[in-house]
Amino acid sequence: MTHRCSSLLSLVLVATANAQPGALTNSKVSFSREVAPIISSKCYHCHGQDEDSRKAELRLDLREEAIKEHDGVRAIVPGKPEQSALVERILSKDKDDVMPPPKEGHAITPAEAAILRKWIAQGAEYEGHWAFRAPVRPEIPVLQPQEKARNPIDHFIAAGLRPAGLAQAPEADRHTLLRRVSLDLLGLPPSPAEIAAFEADPSPEGFERAVDRLLASPHFGEKWARPWLDLARYADSTGYGSDKLRLNIWPYRDWVINALNANRPYDEFSTDQIAGDLIPNATREQRVATAFHRNTMTQNEGGTDDEEYRVAAVKDRVATTVQGWMGLTAGCAQCHSHKFDPISHKEYYQLFAIFNQTEDADRPDDSPLLPLPTPEQTRKSAELQAEITAMEAESRKPSPEIDAKQLEGKRAELAANKPVEIPVMKETPGMRKSFIFNKGNYLTPAEEVQPGLPGAFHPGGDGPVDRLALARWIFSQKNPLTSRVAVNRFWSQIFGMGLVETEEDFGTQGTWPSHPELLDWLAIQFQSPKAEGGLGWDIKALLKLMVTSHTYRQNSLLTPQGQQKDPRNVLLSRYTRRRLEAEAIRDQALTVSGLLGKRIGGPSVYPPQPDGLWTIAFRGVEEYPTSTGEDRWRRSLYTIWRRIAPNPTMATFDAPTRENCTLRRVPTNTPLQAFVTLNDPVYFEAAQGLARRILREPPGSTEDRLRYGLTLVLQRPPTATQLDALRKLVESELAHYGGNIEAAKRLSSSAPLPLPPDANAAELAAWTAVANVLLNLDGFLTKS
Amino acid sequence: MNPDLFSTRSAQLQSTTRRQFLHRAGRFSLGAVALQSLMQQSRAADPTTVDPANPLRAKSPPHPAKAKAVIYLSMSGAPPSLDLFDYKPELNRLNMQPCPESFLKGEKFAFIKGTPNLLGSPHKFEKRGQSGAWMSDLLPHTQKIADDICVIRSMNTDQFNHAPAELLAYTGNMRSGGASMGSWVTYGLGTENQDLPGFVALLSGGSDPTGGKACWGNGFLPGAYQGVQCRSVGDPILFTSNPDGMDRETRRRTLDALHALNEEEARLFGDPETVTRIAQYELAYRMQASVPEAFDIRKEPEHVRAMYGAVPGQASFANNCLLARRLVEKGVRFVQVFDWGWDMHGTGEDNDLLNGLPNKCKGTEQAWSALVQDLKQRGMLDDVLVVWGGEFGRTPMNEARGGSPYLGRDHHPHCFSMWLAGGGIKPGVQYGTTDEIGYRVAENKVTIRDLQATLLHQLGLDPYLLSYKFQGLNNRLIGPSNEGRIIRDILA
Repeated sequence: MTHRCSSLLSLVLVATANAQPGALTNSKVSFSREVAPIISSKCYHCHGQDEDSRKAELRLDLREEAIKEHDGVRAIVPGKPEQSALVERILSKDKDDVMPPPKEGHAITPAEAAILRKWIAQGAEYEGHWAFRAPVRPEIPVLQPQEKARNPIDHFIAAGLRPAGLAQAPEADRHTLLRRVSLDLLGLPPSPAEIAAFEADPSPEGFERAVDRLLASPHFGEKWARPWLDLARYADSTGYGSDKLRLNIWPYRDWVINALNANRPYDEFSTDQIAGDLIPNATREQRVATAFHRNTMTQNEGGTDDEEYRVAAVKDRVATTVQGWMGLTAGCAQCHSHKFDPISHKEYYQLFAIFNQTEDADRPDDSPLLPLPTPEQTRKSAELQAEITAMEAESRKPSPEIDAKQLEGKRAELAANKPVEIPVMKETPGMRKSFIFNKGNYLTPAEEVQPGLPGAFHPGGDGPVDRLALARWIFSQKNPLTSRVAVNRFWSQIFGMGLVETEEDFGTQGTWPSHPELLDWLAIQFQSPKAEGGLGWDIKALLKLMVTSHTYRQNSLLTPQGQQKDPRNVLLSRYTRRRLEAEAIRDQALTVSGLLGKRIGGPSVYPPQPDGLWTIAFRGVEEYPTSTGEDRWRRSLYTIWRRIAPNPTMATFDAPTRENCTLRRVPTNTPLQAFVTLNDPVYFEAAQGLARRILREPPGSTEDRLRYGLTLVLQRPPTATQLDALRKLVESELAHYGGNIEAAKRLSSSAPLPLPPDANAAELAAWTAVANVLLNLDGFLTKS
Repeated sequence: MNPDLFSTRSAQLQSTTRRQFLHRAGRFSLGAVALQSLMQQSRAADPTTVDPANPLRAKSPPHPAKAKAVIYLSMSGAPPSLDLFDYKPELNRLNMQPCPESFLKGEKFAFIKGTPNLLGSPHKFEKRGQSGAWMSDLLPHTQKIADDICVIRSMNTDQFNHAPAELLAYTGNMRSGGASMGSWVTYGLGTENQDLPGFVALLSGGSDPTGGKACWGNGFLPGAYQGVQCRSVGDPILFTSNPDGMDRETRRRTLDALHALNEEEARLFGDPETVTRIAQYELAYRMQASVPEAFDIRKEPEHVRAMYGAVPGQASFANNCLLARRLVEKGVRFVQVFDWGWDMHGTGEDNDLLNGLPNKCKGTEQAWSALVQDLKQRGMLDDVLVVWGGEFGRTPMNEARGGSPYLGRDHHPHCFSMWLAGGGIKPGVQYGTTDEIGYRVAENKVTIRDLQATLLHQLGLDPYLLSYKFQGLNNRLIGPSNEGRIIRDILA
């Protein structure tokens, strides 16, 4: 088993190194890994399962069809490439004869032709797509003496490095580790006190204790809500034209934070969101969770057809559900049968029919709504209601002791004591009919369909096929995708890239896993019940397993070997150094400057942004009521999220618009990002705050202060180069601002941070300039 | 334009960047390795790959390009073609007669209810230029460029609400989430001037287009390709100004300190991203100088400003047309100018055909005409493609919403006029026709998809192959089907 495992991994390695696998050696060609990617992307367009676009009645996705004789010609003759029309056509020099037709732009490369030829010579065996077969628990590879492991993850990673001639990196410094794991688990850097405590605890269990402390922090849920909210396309606006604000949806965001903090198992966490309202005796929290699928957009422009946009929302629910939980893309199947993956046109609309049964209908008020009175509001309402009842009784007396005005006043008070009402999922009393739409167009319905599950996978349970049945089906132990997709997403958050890089696509067009056995081992571990030694969908336990591995604890030094053999670090011979995400960059700046408002939850806030960004046609809300006080500096996930006018800073750092489900942010590195962290008032206030903190906290020399500031931002001992360069800056700026006191005052203060009465403006300005540099350090913007 | 301007500038920029890289990278070996790989990557010209280290690096197009840059003038709200370019004597004859039921059957309108009256144009039409293009008297300046432009009178869309129609026209998808045209183009071609954004959106008319910022959004493409909205008040590009109290010299000193620390970081960790980041901060510093310069129309001679009707300091369409020329001249790949306020429903004097429309034309048509003339005088029209048009057409019927006494037209997807100039498009051409009352296209229908395919084609890109994989689909500007076709009839 171990042997098989390593040979598989070596194949993977060759593939990642862009060599030509199999074709040039005697090894057996793998259908899934080598052949399927070629024929599915280059042939299935016209010779796949989509009956409408099929040419020459030829299917290459099914072996029995591919080897059949059509008009005296056989596309594939197993074992005989020279007799196979497929080989002849792909090698043809005649532009009218060659396949695929040149206009399709899918030309087969010589390397690909060699693979296909060899595969046919070896018998043209087909096998199903790996991700659609249930995972089988692999054996854990045996370690070699020099290899290091803290848990099974490391065994798989070490086995993958061996054939590539790479080795594991040593463990990172303790301060590096604590910064890394704090940012990964909380999205916040550790405080100087936490670093000191950790470094003072050299015991082997010290790191695990730190991990436990972080997992128990209430800020854990805030950090891990972020990727989930991208998936859930959560935003504080309805989208489309006027992009009306949706100021009643934030309790869903808080539900996510709380559920993650409470470590609600992934299956329940998910089922609540897909179908919480259908669970018998659903709690208020479970109904709030269904706002997940009310994050769809609503169209408020005059003259638009509500039905068109209701249908669009239902389609979005199908797409988000199958993509978010099963890593499948369904978009294409709304117009025609999926060309690559097993979702037919009809099955798509059977899924559609499951989601087509809720009451919401693209209404301006986003109804149906669930009122969420706070205990205080409930108490006050009851009180007022009692008073009103008493007053009404009194007013009916012949000579009442109250007047109508008093009664009206009370009624107004009751009306004003209105709770937030969140949009939720609610089934319609009767069944809505559902149809296959020709080319996806709601105006051209064809055959009627009933709710149903895709037939290529395991069957569902008995009873009606509704959202709850769908959720149960997704979380069946037989589902080949759900656990793989989930562990892969958590893996990607922790390690920087998924084991399957295309987190959003586990279908035949997705990437082949870098470590198939590890993925399966993790998937089985995550989904197996605790009683059977699994994790029982325990998210925190899964994350703990990942971050306590040696693989995670490696240093991030890029060695010449690593650079040459595996520049993208697919095999994880080191920790992948990478830039923080948009939210973490701002949250970190606010943390080290001492400005961060740590309150958890509540309505979204309006940190400062440039004027005029909300000027939108058709009388959309244009007023941006900039927050004051603590709300100015809250964690970024509380910043109001308006889909068509996104916060410019977040967008610059690759945050999506949240119009669609997004599973992966693709990081960029642009000059506009430099402008944000150098000049955006939010970041400059952070620089002013950091300067104050440096000057306030440790008394002492310039060098002491620099040491303090550098340690605060980088959480590691400063170097001589750092100290030298910054000392020069302090000196030049003290001189510069000493002669420009007015400029010094302006640089070192802002509306929320006025110049302290006893401040030396030149000194504060010089340190503000230094702090501005500190907040832009590469080491500050990245995790090492 | 000097035909070699683009390539010369690009070469200069690349060599400067290279020098600076080498200068810095020379001090540490891993950085130099990273640099080398960056430089190697830059040679790849496949328009569907993204170089994460420099996503906007100029790439040569896969096919010979007729146009190197685009200025797209988006008339947001949809101008009434029947009062500007599409002369319909029969409609004038039938003025205020009820619209025949045969036209109305199965039709949906945004506001018209019941049986509306046909509405001739209250404006006088004449043939203009040697080409004899029909234009109304609302376009006195446009008449002068009649022989330079190609008017397509047979445009067609399938959306009749502003936001979906604009999103379809500018992102290829009626719902938000698609990548905008300029994003596709910069994804495919990069941009020539690394000191300025590759794709700039300029706004006038007092409001965003109805489709919102998604009209220049990157959608599923990497964020580096998003259009950069440049503003007329405050910083042209957000956050380019240093904080109050920090002058350019102080900024330089802070960046020198930052680089000293970041170079050590690169030495310690060997991360190529660090090298890129150092370069991006340098680029930002250069942009702090180049952006205000590029956006300062006071740098233009008085007679040029007068030609456009541009007055420094305003968020006007005239200023934006002049800016568009300045930006394209400096190597910006795609400039989209959105001018809000063409939604001539006739619900009041300000949006009717007798007052609102003439006023709107007065404030704009001088500028777009000046733009074409200016580009031509500079020799730039040869490789800059100018596109003018709205998101749909307007009805040949009077809207008369709620019995409004003002003349106006409702949304109408079936036909409308647009014009193109330069960039390898035949000048002095009127392409396509509508029926006698301007209700539907009569011949040579041009769909939004066709226009998109043609535009990409002129830039040397293959509209059918320019794709980006997202959510399992090979997304393309022209959509999933191959219905869009290149309009070869109008290519020079």
